[in-house]
Amino acid sequence: MTAFYLRWGVVLVIAMIIVGMTVRDYEQHLASVSPAQILDDPPHGDVRVQGLVKAGTLQGNLEEGFATFALGGDQATLSVEYKGLPPENLRELKLLIVVGQWDPASQVFRARELALLTHYGFVVSAYLVGLLPLLLVLFFMGRKVSLLFEEIKQSKLYQSE
Amino acid sequence: MNKTMINRVIRKIQRYKGWFGGAAALCMMAGLYVGLLASPPDYYQGEVARIMYVHVPLAHTSLLAYTVLFGGSIWYLWKRDPLVDNMCHAAAGLTALFTLLALLTGMIWGKPTWNAWWTWDARLTSFIVLLLITIGYLMLRTFIDDPEREARYAAVLAIVGFVDLPIVHFSVEWWRTLHQPQSISMRGVSISSGLLIPLMLMSVGMSLLFSYMLMVRTQMLYLVNLLDAKKGRLLSQFHLSKAES
Repeated sequence: MTAFYLRWGVVLVIAMIIVGMTVRDYEQHLASVSPAQILDDPPHGDVRVQGLVKAGTLQGNLEEGFATFALGGDQATLSVEYKGLPPENLRELKLLIVVGQWDPASQVFRARELALLTHYGFVVSAYLVGLLPLLLVLFFMGRKVSLLFEEIKQSKLYQSE
Repeated sequence: MNKTMINRVIRKIQRYKGWFGGAAALCMMAGLYVGLLASPPDYYQGEVARIMYVHVPLAHTSLLAYTVLFGGSIWYLWKRDPLVDNMCHAAAGLTALFTLLALLTGMIWGKPTWNAWWTWDARLTSFIVLLLITIGYLMLRTFIDDPEREARYAAVLAIVGFVDLPIVHFSVEWWRTLHQPQSISMRGVSISSGLLIPLMLMSVGMSLLFSYMLMVRTQMLYLVNLLDAKKGRLLSQFHLSKAES
């Protein structure tokens, strides 16, 4: 039984490493901040900001990949200047994520990419619902087989070749 | 099949199942790493599309599991081998598990993309019919006392139930459905390599995991039967000796 628990320990450790790497990747590359957080604590480098494109503020030429708009959060609004690929999902009153850099001198957020709002809870739930029961069933089946082998060997029924 | 032969099969499973388990773990770890960390998000669905790497392999494996049950049932009716019956019983339990998980992960994917947990779409409906057939198979096995009759009737039900598999597979082509058509078919591959690699890794890993689980479960059912037989023999010996005294 020791070897059985050791094998499962290794699987558990590797699974925990993958979970840890995924959480770190989410925090570094996918987590977004609100417009208020940008204004309160101006960041350096690339940042993802989540907000609502305010009605009546969208201007520019979307077909050429240029637009300016106001991105509203709960407490603050950010002026955004977008330059990039022609966006398909940019319209007023739409919740989205803008990726780019904050320019403190001009107080404008210079975005180069627009991303869809993602409900990460669905992704996490799907992986937990899909994989956890499989691992649990496998663990308990493997454990039962080991116990049955022990019981049968003790009862001298199993004939080794 | 005599007892020594069965012992040999069980010992072979015991010897080789570790390779399947190890290969499944490697493929799935690699698939999870690439799928969650290295692959790009989908252009239209964004990060939610990563659910595909767990939902699609589960669905494929549930169809594979039922195909094994179907093949095993034909084999059982032909050879009447109790070990094959154990394998069919094991495959049915695993089909139910994989089908249920595929349905649940599909529901979780459906909510952010279709804005509905469930819809009576042809693919979803035929898939839930598969789950009901498998549950029916498992229930049938608990209702009949005679093991030989139980195995025979269950095999016939599994063969009849196989008619649902082509319906599941072709439902997205035969009917207009919300469910997207197959990304990999005879007509070609309509998915980018960045998404295809983790999908293939997870699909192969899940199939290997199913093979491993099938071996463990077959072994488990066989050992339970063996122990029951031993206990039954001991009990009859006890009654016999009591009657003689």
